Amino acid sequence: MADRVLKVNAFTTFDLLDARIEGHGFEEEAFATLNVRTARKNPEEVSLDLELDNTQLDSVPAHADRVSLSAAEARTLAAELQQAAERVDEAEDA
Amino acid sequence: MPSKVERWKDETYGMEIREHLLRFAEEGWDAIPEDEHDAWFERFKWWGLYHQRKGQESYFMMRIGTPMGRMTPEQLRTVGEVARDYATGPVENPEFGDAYADFTTRQSIQLHWIKVEDIPDIWDELESVGLSTIQACGDSWRNIVGSPVAGRDADELVDVWPIVQELHEKFKGNDLYANLPRKWKVAMTGDRRGSGQGDINDLAFEPAIKEIDGEEVEGFNVNVGGGLSRKEPRFARDIDVFCRPENAADVAAGMSSLFRDYGDRDDRFNARIKFLIDEWGPEKMRSVLQEEYMDYELPTAGQGLRDEYDYNAGRTDAHGDYIGVHDQSDGQNFVGLSVLVGRMSADDVIELADRAEAYGSEMIGLTQRQNLIVGDIADEDLDDFLDEDLLAEHSPDPHPFMRGSIACTGTEYCSLSIVETKNRMVRYGRWLRDNVDLPEGVNDFHIHLSGCTASCAQPQIADISLRGMKTRKDGDAVEAFDVGLGGGLGENPTFADWVKMRVPADEVPGYIANLLEAFEAERESPEQSFRDFVAERDEDELADLAESEETSYEDPYLGNTKLTWYPYAEDTDMDASPAPTDPNDQPLPSDD
Repeated sequence: MADRVLKVNAFTTFDLLDARIEGHGFEEEAFATLNVRTARKNPEEVSLDLELDNTQLDSVPAHADRVSLSAAEARTLAAELQQAAERVDEAEDA
Repeated sequence: MPSKVERWKDETYGMEIREHLLRFAEEGWDAIPEDEHDAWFERFKWWGLYHQRKGQESYFMMRIGTPMGRMTPEQLRTVGEVARDYATGPVENPEFGDAYADFTTRQSIQLHWIKVEDIPDIWDELESVGLSTIQACGDSWRNIVGSPVAGRDADELVDVWPIVQELHEKFKGNDLYANLPRKWKVAMTGDRRGSGQGDINDLAFEPAIKEIDGEEVEGFNVNVGGGLSRKEPRFARDIDVFCRPENAADVAAGMSSLFRDYGDRDDRFNARIKFLIDEWGPEKMRSVLQEEYMDYELPTAGQGLRDEYDYNAGRTDAHGDYIGVHDQSDGQNFVGLSVLVGRMSADDVIELADRAEAYGSEMIGLTQRQNLIVGDIADEDLDDFLDEDLLAEHSPDPHPFMRGSIACTGTEYCSLSIVETKNRMVRYGRWLRDNVDLPEGVNDFHIHLSGCTASCAQPQIADISLRGMKTRKDGDAVEAFDVGLGGGLGENPTFADWVKMRVPADEVPGYIANLLEAFEAERESPEQSFRDFVAERDEDELADLAESEETSYEDPYLGNTKLTWYPYAEDTDMDASPAPTDPNDQPLPSDD
């Protein structure tokens, strides 16, 4: 099998998440790593990197996905995540 | 636009950092401005000091670079005394006690729990015997690696010790090479074992013979661009250059100047020379070196000795290390001792130095397999030396599982690691020794355990590669390992094939037991090496060879040790940390 694409160390945002891929005619579950990253030199964007363990997947080759976000987009995402997290918290408290 | 690290380096870097460190030592930990910690900690690396991880604020790891791992017994004793007197923290390690030295895969020494206030005294002691922490880390010439027994080894082509000393003198503390785009790792091999492991270094001198003007010249072929880190490990590539021993310093100067001038300073992830040679190819690397940095015509490569290499080569006909008794060229012997995971108590370090000196040894060597060599033991003294009590613990004839184990620092101290490493590898080794029969003919079995993808334990070049990860077990997040198989150096260096992901740490010994059982059952013959067995199989076959399982092995570090302040403390909670502390390990008053 191929090696991991993303590096994983103590600075990785999440080294153990449950993830799922879904396509036309296939659906698989795997563990995943997810990392928020900015370049060391004058960062211009935020990247959000996701990699599912390729040993658990048959439908797609080993790979990682990367989404590039502007600072504003990253804030929008953070705000939506925050709101969503609050809804989950509220539901649990109810 | 240069990176943040490049800006810090522009402000203060190199030799002058020493003055600042002396000032901080005088004024104490609090004198390092909190908002400048990142910048100062980056700079301190140049003088061999890494700030330890979260929860251990105010404590440093100190690295002492010993070229080719070579020392005198006096120097080794000083290391032991410094470890005994200064490398103690608030909590003992349950396997190794309260003071110890770590011997690393790049033949250096690492001490932990060092306080900034003690640094001047430590430097005084180390420098009084010719040891230094200079440039042990940071973006510069790192410790030069190679065979510690150069000049003594009966199995060598060129004695590289004088050359390595020359390179060490020329390039350490030299402003021209003090600030490179990234680390610069050099290996020099003169023996027939391949013990420099040049394949995984930025610049490698490999022994070679070249006919020049009708004369057979012994020297080196030059390879460039090896390295293990990240997802793109590389073996150093042949740039078709032969180098006479007397030209090694010129070629090294040329290559490191080329790296200084052309390496990528904008992106640290792309800075190592392996990426430059990816971009240029070996031919351009050679032509730029020739045209811009050399004032003589570089000969083309000579005939190498690679087919003889056995160091970490996974061969069945030769041990892949220096353990045991070996002939020296002067008729004496050098004795390689197993140091499990490279860690030795300060008392043992001192005792070993004393015993070595008592037997007339003038040479101690640290190997890239985290072991230790005592040189110059006369034939008539050999039996007595082998009977020394200390050798029961640090054996010249250890069980293969103990012999072949390497581990990095791990979550005990390291900021990057995500799993506990050294104590776990010790426990793996003991359990495997006591519970697993090695297949007939297997005398060496290398297990390299690294705490993250940074590859400090060189996981890609082992029979079994373990690399720290997490998984979920019974609903809890637990420490785990990705597993690779079949890596090694030698004539045909190979990186491990990664075959399993996230094997729970407590199921790894069971996995190894099952794997070896499958190997024994399915191999062609007892002569087939594990590496060759792996090489014959495709990824699916390798993944299906064995499954992990729980056994009688118990793992006390299964939980998330990264989140503890110290994995072996009575109260491991981050809030229970005494750090930052004063020089007596007492908590400093908080500003809150």
